[in-house]
Amino acid sequence: MASIVHAEEVMGTVVSFHLEAPTLAASDLAAAVAEATALLHHDDETFSMWKPQSPLSRLRRGELRLEDAPPEVSEVLDLCEAAGTLSRGWFDAFALPGGVDPTGLVKGWSIERALAVLVDAGVTSAMVNGGGDITCHGAAPQGGPWRIGVRHPWRLDALAAVLEVDRAIATSGEYERGRHLVDPIGRTGPAPASATVTGPNLTLADALATAVAVGSDEAFEVVAAIDGYDAYLIRADGSEASTPGIRFVDAETDPSPPR
Amino acid sequence: MKRAAIAVVAAVGGFAGVLGFNLGGSRAPLLQGAGASTPPATPPGSSSSASSSSSSSSSSSSSSSSSSASTPPPAGVRSALGNTYQYGYGQLAVRVTLNGSTITRVDTVGLQTAESYSQQLAQQVIPLLRHEVLAAQSAKVNGFSGATYTSEAYIYSLQSALDKLKKK
Repeated sequence: MASIVHAEEVMGTVVSFHLEAPTLAASDLAAAVAEATALLHHDDETFSMWKPQSPLSRLRRGELRLEDAPPEVSEVLDLCEAAGTLSRGWFDAFALPGGVDPTGLVKGWSIERALAVLVDAGVTSAMVNGGGDITCHGAAPQGGPWRIGVRHPWRLDALAAVLEVDRAIATSGEYERGRHLVDPIGRTGPAPASATVTGPNLTLADALATAVAVGSDEAFEVVAAIDGYDAYLIRADGSEASTPGIRFVDAETDPSPPR
Repeated sequence: MKRAAIAVVAAVGGFAGVLGFNLGGSRAPLLQGAGASTPPATPPGSSSSASSSSSSSSSSSSSSSSSSASTPPPAGVRSALGNTYQYGYGQLAVRVTLNGSTITRVDTVGLQTAESYSQQLAQQVIPLLRHEVLAAQSAKVNGFSGATYTSEAYIYSLQSALDKLKKK
């Protein structure tokens, strides 16, 4: 039985791994973590908007043709298009002049790739958390679904809610460091305070959380109609909305549902 | 008001989860008390390790691991300084003091913030983080969605300090 907690600074944030692998030797698990983190760094090198020589930066400047870029670039751009279609335009990696910006999707995509490496290696219980964008595999260490606290948008000392998730969860909002979200359509009303999306894959959950953080109620309704994905929205005025698949965890002292 | 109560319980649980991994076999004292209902994530005899890297130029980057969690916790008062971590708007490090396997004290040292506003935030949140670490009693939350940069830096520095104590 091997288990490990690992934290890696990459992609401008900390990615943490909480892993259990009953059949693996500790050295094999450590090797799998090394492979997974190497992949995160590789993806960061490929897709960084801040590194002038990254393939993505060169593509944006027109110095690199798509067919000459690493194959992952085409894959991610295709996923951006698909996420744009699914979100009915609320996620738009192509909205700004200056070239494609896959920022709202590529971190989730890369974390899913890292998780796949670990699962292939024999990890049976995993949580990979990239600065608050999380993908899980198997049962949580305590058994059953993973319990994820959603940060309160205004209070650093509190959580807005605790959700049960089986797989992926992403939260987006204007409070995040360095995020100045572009509104590709033009929502009615103010930007929401916090947008959380859960679902079977972090790549799409990440993009859809960005979409809801931009489009508020209008994008929330779009996500509600996507099979397998759910949304939890905190509006600018503090009011909330959630789709039926969002599972709130209640405090043990109060067994009644939170809403 | 009901939601506020959830938030406090959950935040405390989150730190217990993090600490549980790192204390390994010595986590039991942390989990005793009202509300402790979840069994440890790491059974005795398993291995647990944590490693980290820091981009801070003013601190040493380190990677550490610890092997068997089944060794009984050493007695006496010991303390260790964790690595310095960058968070969104600055950097911090924590010093942790154990008596046996119980955390008796967590001090924040080397707190630097980029601007006065974030310093205000850090001064508000760090006492709460310390309280949560010391009060942590059950593993109710596995992770946090939506980044809390100060909290992450605090947790990772605490982890590295606990790792240093485990290796001694």
